[in-house]
Amino acid sequence: TSTVLSTKEDGSTPSAASTTKTASKSQKDSAETPKQKLLNLIGNMKVEVSSMKKFQQLKKRETNKQSATHREGLGSRSSALPKAAEDFQRSKPLKRELVEAASAVASSLPLNKEQTESDLLAQLRRHEETTDKQKMGEIVNIRNVISDMTIKRESPAQRGARISSLISLELEEDGKRIKPERLGSQSSDSRRYFLNLKVGRRLNIFTKTSPDTEKTPTAASAPTIWDLEFAKEIAAVTEQPPRNGFEEMIQWTKEGILWEFPIDNEAGMEDDAEFHEHIFLEKHLEDFPKQGPIRHFMELVICGLSKNPYLTVKQKVEHIEWFQKYFEEKQEYLQEI
Amino acid sequence: VLPASCTRQVRGYYVDWRMLRDVKRRKLAYEYADERLRINAIRKNTLLPKELQEVADKEIAALPRDSCPVRIRNRCVLTSRPRGVKRRWRLSRIVFRHFADHAQMSGVQRAMW
Repeated sequence: TSTVLSTKEDGSTPSAASTTKTASKSQKDSAETPKQKLLNLIGNMKVEVSSMKKFQQLKKRETNKQSATHREGLGSRSSALPKAAEDFQRSKPLKRELVEAASAVASSLPLNKEQTESDLLAQLRRHEETTDKQKMGEIVNIRNVISDMTIKRESPAQRGARISSLISLELEEDGKRIKPERLGSQSSDSRRYFLNLKVGRRLNIFTKTSPDTEKTPTAASAPTIWDLEFAKEIAAVTEQPPRNGFEEMIQWTKEGILWEFPIDNEAGMEDDAEFHEHIFLEKHLEDFPKQGPIRHFMELVICGLSKNPYLTVKQKVEHIEWFQKYFEEKQEYLQEI
Repeated sequence: VLPASCTRQVRGYYVDWRMLRDVKRRKLAYEYADERLRINAIRKNTLLPKELQEVADKEIAALPRDSCPVRIRNRCVLTSRPRGVKRRWRLSRIVFRHFADHAQMSGVQRAMW
């Protein structure tokens, strides 16, 4: 009777849990007694309704209610329909006792009964949804994790369903078979540990050790010339002629005669500038006049420089600055013309 | 050979004076290369006014004569021979032949086909 119950509550509040409540309110507005009759009827019936049909029913109801009222625009309509689809697929709907209890509570409260009842039902439905999601292991809602309201209860049937879904995913991706139990246990354990790590108090078992900053205080700030000479002497005395070709090659590499393999194309090149500093050189043209032949000329210069891979950025900037100085010197001469 | 900065007093071991003069010209050409390039860029375009280009002409003529790269001659490194020098080895043909026959040129062999 799970599907039956789901249709029942959809009859009461067709829209999704947390998003829209306008549809539910409009439904409430129509009549209370017909709903009660509907509830009783459906509770007695045992009808298997397909999910597609329910979806279509919901759509019709949605279109009807959209014309009616739009009080609070909570969330988008588009999100309502896929969420409603989720509602259909839910295996554990609200129990009848809960619904009746919610209605009783709502009637006891002095405020808007319909609204309170719908709110309470929505709350209950949200609880159930989150528990289901936790069991199915689909989405880790950050909200739930933070609020810490949900308790993880795994029924063996649902666990089996999850594992089977995981297996199917793995087969599709890798084409290999992974043992189901290990997967399920790993994922559940990891999730449990993930949650548990967040909740923890310091045990104060280990004390923080300050790193030893002054281990070997050198007598002189920089090694003296005599120290360097002494070090060179020792190196010269202790070095042996290379025993084989490998050691010879090592020696040559240290001296710089032999390149380092794999060959680094940028060895010895220390260009720290990014590509945009090489290409976009217009910012250096600020001091030049905006119009005129000089500007045209400088733009050509910059175009050429941007295509030049051999100069450093510094050299390019110096190039432009030379031109700037030159034209400044000649400015008096130019103005005569 | 003396350090690169002082070229007036010659107490190095270049093959002959012509080689030394060539060395001087190369050094100056390296120093003035950027300036020459820039002044030539001003001279050789059609956008700037002609008066400016004439001024640039005079400026480049005022640079030291040895700074232009055209005056460099690729002489033989060992004998300072101005002609018959292969660029890859910087040697004149006679020296090259001498070394190649004594098998002191890596990868060079007498041609036979």
